[in-house]
Amino acid sequence: MWEFVSERWQDIAYRAFQHTSLVVQALVLATVIAIAVALLVTRVKALEPVANAISAIGLTIPSFALLGLLLPLVGIGTLPSVLLVTFYATLPILRNAVVGLMGVSPLLMESAQGMGMSAFGRFLRVQLPLAWPVIMAGLRTSAQMSMGVAAIAAYALGPGLGQYIFTGLTQIGGQNAVPYAVVGTVGIIILALLLDAILLLVSRLTTSKGIRA
Amino acid sequence: MSEQNDPSSAEAGAEQPSHGLGLLVGLPLICAAILGGWTLWRQTAELDDIESRQLAWGTILDLTREHIVLTLVTTAIVLVTAVPLGILLTRPAFRRLSTPVVGFANAGQAAPVIGIIVLLAMWIGFGFRAAVISLGLYAFLPVLRNTIVGLQQVDPTLVEAARGMGMSGFDVLRRVELPLAIPIIMAGVRTALVLVVGTASFATFINAGGLGALIVTGITLFRNSVLISGALIIAVLALLIDWAGRVFERIATPKGLS
Repeated sequence: MWEFVSERWQDIAYRAFQHTSLVVQALVLATVIAIAVALLVTRVKALEPVANAISAIGLTIPSFALLGLLLPLVGIGTLPSVLLVTFYATLPILRNAVVGLMGVSPLLMESAQGMGMSAFGRFLRVQLPLAWPVIMAGLRTSAQMSMGVAAIAAYALGPGLGQYIFTGLTQIGGQNAVPYAVVGTVGIIILALLLDAILLLVSRLTTSKGIRA
Repeated sequence: MSEQNDPSSAEAGAEQPSHGLGLLVGLPLICAAILGGWTLWRQTAELDDIESRQLAWGTILDLTREHIVLTLVTTAIVLVTAVPLGILLTRPAFRRLSTPVVGFANAGQAAPVIGIIVLLAMWIGFGFRAAVISLGLYAFLPVLRNTIVGLQQVDPTLVEAARGMGMSGFDVLRRVELPLAIPIIMAGVRTALVLVVGTASFATFINAGGLGALIVTGITLFRNSVLISGALIIAVLALLIDWAGRVFERIATPKGLS
């Protein structure tokens, strides 16, 4: 086992980097999409049940099934991975962003308007900071999930540590099968826990001083 | 931070009970539309040898049956293990343990399910047993967490009042705490069902059957029709299981709470 890790250390590190990079990029994309949609929902109240239904139904659809539906459309490789991870990452953030943005007291928004803030200023300086801790909580849920979804995307030759798991599976019986699967699985667990710790820190640091617990 | 009013802790913690009738009516309609469209395609499409063999009605029904059996057996095992453990961890004698156990279970959630399935199969051998255990491990947390949260949010004054009326500890649990916790526990069970029906598509990797076989065959033999059919049927099955969970949740909720 140690021999396996030390021999392939560089490859493992590179795949771990790819895995993290895929997840982080998808998370950034997902956060922007989710906040934009949530903003729309706060403006057009009728859309709220629709947004909630989409998060609920979306999270029900198995990732392997969605991967199957994506492959004929975009082929194998990195693109389906990015789409797949972004799709699942968006949903928890969207749910929390809707709750968070809707939860901002209308009184505060009105006071901000009374102080002469523009619509964009109100969103950026009042609504978003107040909703931020809730959005970050959704982001952490998404990050955990994305790590696992990225592993599944490796079945369609996506990047990252998931490929080690599938390599282990195909080499079953061979002497390296178990090390491959263990390194893939444990590596993803470590990455997920690290990312969660970092996001917790980011969440603390980016939460506006006035509402820090 | 107060646990009750802060949506961030509610989201990061237990699954919330579902509300509203929209999805109860909408889900079966969506599923019927997808299945109807697919059946129409299946009846009229020109299939080559491989496709017609993979998409034979008998094969699809067998795979679906395997998938459902796997899902139900796993969920049943999770139910009879996680709910009692959750009850135990909220009893005074073991209450101290509930935080570390939930923390450990939360951290365990970081494990990629496909890795767990493959490793477990390597350890105890390919087949149904390995699939049930690995899927069960994965679905254990939501049920355990929701059981604990559900029981913890029962108003302690009600428990005290029940004790004051002369009920035994077991009676309080059976007639006060559990009925009040049912909506949250059931939300956990529904989450578990949905997780299991989705991850059961990986069972095919370790020869444990299920509809995932269609996706794998579709990819390896370059037959998009098989691939898409598998993906659609799994998605519909997952939506229907979610729907059944929602219906069950409604039925199980005591009248006084709805």
